[in-house]
Amino acid sequence: MDDPSIKREPKDKGVTLLEHSYDGIQEFDQKLPNWWLFTLYGAILFSIAYWLVVHQVLQGTRDTLLLENELAQVEARRIEETVKLLDDANLLELSRNPEFVAAGSQVFMTNQCATCHGADLRSGPGMVGVNLVDSEWKHGGNPISIFNTITQGVASAGMPRHEGILSPTAIAQVTAYVLSMQEPTQP
Amino acid sequence: MQTSPSPTISITYNDRVVRQFMLAAILWGVVAMTFGAIVAFMLNFWQINGGIYLFGKQWSIEWITFGRLRPLHTNAAIFAFVGNMMFAGIYHSTQRLVRARLASDWLSSIHFWGWQAIIVAAAITLPLGLSRGKEYAELIWPLNVAVTVIWVIFAINFFWTLARRNEPTLYVAIWFYIATIITVALLYVVNHLSLPTSLLHSYPVFGGVQDALVQWWYGHNAVAFFLTTPILGIMYYYVPKAVNRPVYSYRLSVIHFWSLVFIYIWAGPHHLLNTALPPWLQYLGMTFSLMLWAPSWGGMLNGLLTMKGAWDRMREDPIMKFFAVGITAYGMATFEGPLLAIKSVNALGHYTDWIIGHVHGGTLGWNGFMAAGMFYWLAPRLWNRPLYSRSLANFHFWIGLVGILLYVLAMWVSGITQGLMLNALNDSGTSLAYSNFLETLNAIRPLMFFRAIGGTLYLIGFILLAYNIYRTVTGAETVSTTVEVPRRTEPDQQGFKGSLLNPPVIYTSLIIIFACMWMLGGGFFLLTGLFGTIFTVLLAILHFQAGGRRWSQWYEKLLANSLGFTVLTFASVAIGGAIQIIPTVMVNRAANLEGRIQRVLTPLELAGRDIYIAEGCYNCHSQMIRMLKPDVMRYGDYSRLGESIYDYPFQWGSRRIGPDLAREGGFRSNDWHFDHFMDPRAISSAGSAAALPWMGHGSNMPAYPWLARKKIDVDALPSKIRTLRTLGVPFPDWTEDEIRAQVEAQALEIARDLQSKDRFLEPNSQMTAVIAYLQQLGLNEEVR
Repeated sequence: MDDPSIKREPKDKGVTLLEHSYDGIQEFDQKLPNWWLFTLYGAILFSIAYWLVVHQVLQGTRDTLLLENELAQVEARRIEETVKLLDDANLLELSRNPEFVAAGSQVFMTNQCATCHGADLRSGPGMVGVNLVDSEWKHGGNPISIFNTITQGVASAGMPRHEGILSPTAIAQVTAYVLSMQEPTQP
Repeated sequence: MQTSPSPTISITYNDRVVRQFMLAAILWGVVAMTFGAIVAFMLNFWQINGGIYLFGKQWSIEWITFGRLRPLHTNAAIFAFVGNMMFAGIYHSTQRLVRARLASDWLSSIHFWGWQAIIVAAAITLPLGLSRGKEYAELIWPLNVAVTVIWVIFAINFFWTLARRNEPTLYVAIWFYIATIITVALLYVVNHLSLPTSLLHSYPVFGGVQDALVQWWYGHNAVAFFLTTPILGIMYYYVPKAVNRPVYSYRLSVIHFWSLVFIYIWAGPHHLLNTALPPWLQYLGMTFSLMLWAPSWGGMLNGLLTMKGAWDRMREDPIMKFFAVGITAYGMATFEGPLLAIKSVNALGHYTDWIIGHVHGGTLGWNGFMAAGMFYWLAPRLWNRPLYSRSLANFHFWIGLVGILLYVLAMWVSGITQGLMLNALNDSGTSLAYSNFLETLNAIRPLMFFRAIGGTLYLIGFILLAYNIYRTVTGAETVSTTVEVPRRTEPDQQGFKGSLLNPPVIYTSLIIIFACMWMLGGGFFLLTGLFGTIFTVLLAILHFQAGGRRWSQWYEKLLANSLGFTVLTFASVAIGGAIQIIPTVMVNRAANLEGRIQRVLTPLELAGRDIYIAEGCYNCHSQMIRMLKPDVMRYGDYSRLGESIYDYPFQWGSRRIGPDLAREGGFRSNDWHFDHFMDPRAISSAGSAAALPWMGHGSNMPAYPWLARKKIDVDALPSKIRTLRTLGVPFPDWTEDEIRAQVEAQALEIARDLQSKDRFLEPNSQMTAVIAYLQQLGLNEEVR
């Protein structure tokens, strides 16, 4: 036990057992733990500060602006990347680069292209996509058209958009892969 | 309260209804957890999702898809298991805490049998696809009416018992029961307001963002006031009883009770962070969730510290173990909740398994273990026979604990993994690192499998409990306790006015009014509110220091006045909901558009939407592209409020087991959707095989061949369209013939398109309607 002269030391002293009892259950009246009060007051103060700064000073416009800025940056970088690639001759050149074509093949297989166009790109009976190796092109067969078709998609034909989902480089790789798989045109 | 010797009366408690509710809770607990395990395995094995794979062929069964059985699991766990357990605990402890028999045996019986009838009806209607399409509020409107009636009967029985009490004042457990009864009534009624279109179908009266707000005000507080406050009340009775020690701190009870009931209600919008929900509501949702941390831990502290000094008994006593771990799980879940409510953490965790792990930490740990502790404590006392096997109960504890840990850890890892993968960008920042959604699904497949194993272990433990209790009670003689208690002679000490017109209540009301003026007003209101708040807080502190003792005397008097106490509790919980919901519901529609307005559906698309809801598609697919870069890159432009303004009910979703569909319209072709419904794996798979081949690497969505077989219910459409017009959706005033003609024309168009691609679908089949609905998702018109 503590020195009896120090009356207010709370250990077991200073803890009152309340008089009442409910069905034999009694209650102590312990002081609230300081660290607990600290989390309560801390959270309240933080909330007030957060509300003041984020809602009343910044007027809640922060989120929209941040997002729009981020998206604009992505768009700028995407254009930059696209400009470097977008050139028929360049894409044809890339379609003869085995590493670039292999990367395109990888993208093609992991992104469900094959589920509609077939693993051999020849589509097939009952498949949703068109044959990609014959000489018939519905939406343009030059490299840039193929690149655009993959990027924007063709809603009427059920070809999904890939902008944002695949990078311009990945789309160029798929374009190169598709070009590399072309069957020689009939004379 | 010491009173002079007064005449005593002999009371026999109604323990029969307690036994009934307890056995029902155990039975429904086994059912709810079994369905939980089944739907968990479905996500790993498509072969049992919407059918059975036998003899090399998938035999489709429409009643057992994930979309229809997941609501059955959640409703059974919440309303059947915890509901019955709560009623058992409340009826048992209240009679003893107020020293009175339940007011009416007749009402008790109606309460019990009515509740069981509702559960049976729910278990039939949900697999049939009869659903309101709102989470934990799926039951159709006739059942909503029945639930409300039974709940009112429960309330009458409870408050009538309080009125007849022989204990002058109310113990803390009773406070929590009061809060439960009035708040659940309020939440349930508002979130279930509907306009029926037929005997089995209705539309909620709120749509779009209003419905989202009301739904998560309900959804969040169903957790608070159905799964938390009644169990806290139960904790305050059974824990001190089981350990035979006084409760740790009365004043902690007071503070944490009032702060909990006041703050909890405001936190609902944290389910809608980073969405199109107006920012001020998101900030309230986040900050009130953070403020909720301490009040929740107040409950945990009072529970755990009451057990302090009796830890040595943990080694032997399974009841102590269940209570200790249950309360600890409550503390874990209520720490995790505020953490997940921080906007940036939520950007990662929302729509992933992290949330599922969080919820199950609470339900398996807190609800399930508190229930087990209570059942093991009650059984010997209600049937007057020792527990059949203590070692079996100990085994239940350990297998259950391993189950919880496996479940929660797997879901944490799964949620964070999938969240990081979905949000990851490639090096140049111009595209997604994991562009195919299925890559993220394949990554979490092993974790979902561990979750299913963990859940199954937990289920086995609970079945052991059922067996143990069964062996304890069969052939046992039931006992209803009789006690001799002093009759209460003095009336309520303080009138109704005295409960409300006194310094603490007046100060609190003024502070709340001023704080709301300051937070929500502008100009004059803002300044008045700011200075008013500061002034009133200071005044209250000074007054308290001068005469604080009288305040606690006032509180003791309040505890002797059940009506005054109930009114104050109701006021505390009503404020938060009112401030968030009323402005959003009252606001002019035009202010809630953000420049875009949803296109009104055609009759065929509406039919498709109702099938989408009936099949429970919202259980796996959201329709809300959040204001986050990766969401926009994956799914398209972020969703605006106006784009779901005519959605009754809203379909923003809460979990992305599959991808978001907000802008699915026109993204793929009709034949793709046809193939996908007939066999999702034929057209949706990841190129790379999963690490474990037997886990599969394609979509885990069920096939829906019956959509091609079943016919559209065209006859139901005129009544549906009329109802939606009443609610404010600007459908033209079509005649029944016009509706029929439009359905036929649009369906034929889709069927012809499919035919041109060698796919044959009856135009009047449900699949044409669903395809029509999916193909318009995201269509909108610019306004202003």
